Amino acid sequence: MRLSKRPSSGLQMNMTPMIDVTFLLLIFFMTVSQVSAVNKEKLPLPQQQGSQDQSEAPITININEQGDIIVSGNRLTLPQLLAEVASELGKVNDDASRLTIALRAHREGNSRTVNQVVSALEKLEIHRVRIAVENSAP
Amino acid sequence: MKLTSRSGRHSSRIELQMTSMIDVVFLLLIFFMVTASFAKTERELDPAIRVEKAAATKSRTQLEPAIVEIVGGPGRFAYKLGGREFNSPAELTAVLRQFENKSDGAFVRVPDDAPFDMAAAALQACMDAKFLAVSYVPLSEEN
Repeated sequence: MRLSKRPSSGLQMNMTPMIDVTFLLLIFFMTVSQVSAVNKEKLPLPQQQGSQDQSEAPITININEQGDIIVSGNRLTLPQLLAEVASELGKVNDDASRLTIALRAHREGNSRTVNQVVSALEKLEIHRVRIAVENSAP
Repeated sequence: MKLTSRSGRHSSRIELQMTSMIDVVFLLLIFFMVTASFAKTERELDPAIRVEKAAATKSRTQLEPAIVEIVGGPGRFAYKLGGREFNSPAELTAVLRQFENKSDGAFVRVPDDAPFDMAAAALQACMDAKFLAVSYVPLSEEN
């Protein structure tokens, strides 16, 4: 028994702009997640509220639990790090107040390497450093 | 010049099946959005750096600025402020809040073997207590 006739012409949505936007968002998220991970090692940071939001820094110094200094994925010795910092200082006409340095250190590690780095930076007239912390609160 | 007749054209268009592609794209999109929101946000502590000789910092205690030192040995470290020792950053913050000379700043002295987690907690306690300037003072053995 034939009850009804199906409509032959259905309403069709134009999917092209939606797919364009979706791909754009997808590529944006993929790119952003990769770029932000270049300078940052996977380290458990001290869990604190912090005093300010994180901003971009030309040099991000990572210190792992063993006390290794890692900058942009490369393990550096303290003199190598200082050479790197001096090179960045040169880019800002040796004005240390214009150079931002972020320090990311493993929360389980001791402070030996951090102290060495901080003391060395102070000798380069850098009197401020940004210590990264992990904010688990929403 | 008429090359083809109207009747020769295909009347039926080729249509792509978009449903499966949209399924996959949305799945990827949702995955990235969810993982991005679960990632822990990083913030910063912004202390000044002060490198002082150990003997020199001791003489400064006569002026009684807020000097927090991490003391103890492996497995048992504490925060020392004046003659008192505190085990939790909350206790330290509560005492630091009672200081009146907030404009003089606070100093956090960190020996080499102190856990970095505690150093960060001490800096945070000083900042929570509204000190105008907080300084990280490394107490390296070579200083």
